[in-house]
Amino acid sequence: MNAWLLVAPLGVLAFAGLGIMLIDAFSPGRAELAGVTTTALLMAGLISVVALLSGVDPGELPRSLRAFIAVDHAGLYFDVVICAGAALSALLAGGYLKEHHLERGEYYVLLIFSALGAMILARAVDLITLFIGLETMSLGVYCMIAYRRTSIRATEGALKYFLLGSFAAAILLFGTALIYGATGHTDLAGIGNVLAAGGADARLVLLALALIVVGLAFKVSAVPFHMWTPDAYEGAPTPTTTFMAVAVKTAGFAIMLRMLITAFGDPLSASPETGWPPLIAGIAILSMIYGNVAGLAQTSVKRMLAYSSIAHAGYILVAVAVSYAAREQAIASVLYYLLAYTVSNVLAFGSLILLGSRGKEAVTYEDLAGAGRRHPLAALPLVIGVLSLMGFPPTAGFFAKYYVLTTALSIGGGMVWVAIILVLSSALGAYYYLKVIVFLFMKEPQAGAPKAVPMRSGYVAFALVLAGYFVIKMGVTPEPYLRMAVDAAQSFIS
Amino acid sequence: MFWEYLPVFVMLLVAVLVAVGLFVLTSSVGPKKMTPEKAIPYEGGSETTGAEGLRLSVKFFLTAILFVVFDIEAVFLYPWAGLFSRLGWIGLVEMLVFLSVLGVTLAYAWKKGAFEWEK
Amino acid sequence: MSTANTVLLVVSALLALGGAVGTIAAARPLRAALALLVNIVALAGVFLSLHAQFLAMVQLIVYAGAVVVLFVFVIMMVGATGKVPRSPRGLATKTVSLVVMSVVSLVLVFGVAYVSMPAAHLPHGYGTVEGLGAVLFTQAAVPFELVSITLLVAVVGALAVARGRTPKEAAEARARRAAEGLEADARLAEERRISAEVSAHGGH
Repeated sequence: MNAWLLVAPLGVLAFAGLGIMLIDAFSPGRAELAGVTTTALLMAGLISVVALLSGVDPGELPRSLRAFIAVDHAGLYFDVVICAGAALSALLAGGYLKEHHLERGEYYVLLIFSALGAMILARAVDLITLFIGLETMSLGVYCMIAYRRTSIRATEGALKYFLLGSFAAAILLFGTALIYGATGHTDLAGIGNVLAAGGADARLVLLALALIVVGLAFKVSAVPFHMWTPDAYEGAPTPTTTFMAVAVKTAGFAIMLRMLITAFGDPLSASPETGWPPLIAGIAILSMIYGNVAGLAQTSVKRMLAYSSIAHAGYILVAVAVSYAAREQAIASVLYYLLAYTVSNVLAFGSLILLGSRGKEAVTYEDLAGAGRRHPLAALPLVIGVLSLMGFPPTAGFFAKYYVLTTALSIGGGMVWVAIILVLSSALGAYYYLKVIVFLFMKEPQAGAPKAVPMRSGYVAFALVLAGYFVIKMGVTPEPYLRMAVDAAQSFIS
Repeated sequence: MFWEYLPVFVMLLVAVLVAVGLFVLTSSVGPKKMTPEKAIPYEGGSETTGAEGLRLSVKFFLTAILFVVFDIEAVFLYPWAGLFSRLGWIGLVEMLVFLSVLGVTLAYAWKKGAFEWEK
Repeated sequence: MSTANTVLLVVSALLALGGAVGTIAAARPLRAALALLVNIVALAGVFLSLHAQFLAMVQLIVYAGAVVVLFVFVIMMVGATGKVPRSPRGLATKTVSLVVMSVVSLVLVFGVAYVSMPAAHLPHGYGTVEGLGAVLFTQAAVPFELVSITLLVAVVGALAVARGRTPKEAAEARARRAAEGLEADARLAEERRISAEVSAHGGH
């Protein structure tokens, strides 16, 4: 089997993106861009699955490529998650943009190249590709948030995210510059080797580590670097919000794992007393508590989902924090969580899109009042979605949380307390997820209040069926997905 | 390093001296007869239209950002051109791939009307 | 490092610092942009004293030549007359943030200044145009190609948020508005008809 299969997903997206640009420029309206984009993303995802199963030897690829782009199973796994998230977001966009008269070709170009940037970021094994991937992904996302130009909230959210994101990128860049100064390497493996040999000044390394963690924590919207999240999530067109919640977060965690395990995996940096594990665990605790407490007070479902995204970042960070000890298990639970979170989120955001139409959008809890009884079929995916985000069996979200929890408990010591916080804070979060269901089925809209009217879209319906299938499938038979995650995690460590 | 660039610094110094010198000379040596006409800010000879209240169209921004992007492209061309003979075919192919991606970008921007001023 | 080189470094660094302070302290946006220009040109001097010729050139061509122009355009776009409003925050907030920022800066400065930083083994002439090009086009060809994607996203993103409508899109929007207008007209006519019927019945 040809080794180029391992990087084919990136190539497919690049060519498809350029193709979409040419179609949009020279024969606009000729092709359904949403369909083309989804097909390209699904194809890239399928190629990744094939490459995962085929067991190709990456040794045949030129060194100059392997020095910058990871060709391991973890990279392919992240490709699958990012492509799935982006393809489902493209489907949602196909319905949403038409309904809201925002259909312009730029959106799909940005979406596909942001996904490519996210994949490059998730596969970065060098500080240079890390930054290029990060910027490609982020630039696209900033513009996808500001896409609805007449909306002040969209502009506000985009501007906040852009300014804070630029600061975070600068902090990250400073950290990478320091680690280059300390070790003389830009490749993560080289940095790891120098650090493991004790060939760098410990103070400088810890300073660089702190700066890099700050930069990456921003991208996954962990507390206290979350300030932009609610405004950006709420102001953005909902397909963009979906993309941010799934693809951007996945890429952020992917590069965080690569950084912490490959580059900062030495005994000093990964020490449970002075290194990154307590730092990450602290961020995780803050994110879980803040995300769930602040989520309680929200009146907008979209904003609630933003706080839920902060809380979920906290849960995933718990697994990241213990990856210094229970390596394979911890990494596998992060990977499984990311896939489960992707499909659950698409379900939640997708049905919010489906439940509203132009001028009659479903954004707040009030908008949803009684919608479940009026339109049970459109509300069903939202119910499954929030149950999965809550961690209710038998959904994907249940096993995701379960694996993180058992991993944290297997370490023992202080991590038991972190696990207890995880359980308590998710119990708190259950309140605002269940509130959605209560409003859907047990409330009636107030007299004279605008009612949300569902839209009709084959694209959105298709996305919901796909995501719903996987949420249930991963909840009933999680083993094959977990095996895939464990296999990817093994390639990470070796 | 510094001495290699001495001519550049000398040129900078001369430029600053000429600029400052001309200002000092004209204001100290030349005769001063102030008339109301002369007190008006100089705007290329045309009537002033209120200097600061002017607001540019967003199209300037689009033009400026395109300029920045293609300026960066030119920066990459610099070292490539210097090494062209050493890099050989591989260098040519690398640059052609780079340029064709930006070529598609340019065509896209063009077709989307980024360079049109009439509306 | 030769004395002349040190002089260049110190003078440029001081100028850069002055420019940076000017950028954040200036009350008028245009002055801030010009202070930024001073900062950028001075940084080019810093790079030059560190033997990074290519970087110094890029600093002048891209930052001084293009980015500052972009800033000035954006300032003119939002109106250059406005002054930066005085911060509404109280003295306590300002003091706290000043202290925090000073501590962070000091940690960074001393973190960088008083630790051993082994110089990477760079070949002779690394910072020159040829030296950098040799690395860029042989070892780092993959990131070089990826940069073209980043630039592409920047252009498409700018188009997405700032371009006008193409003639086709404008026509579609007009047609849609007209259709919606017709719909509204039809609804209005229907309402009138019903109210007329009601009043007619009421008359019986």
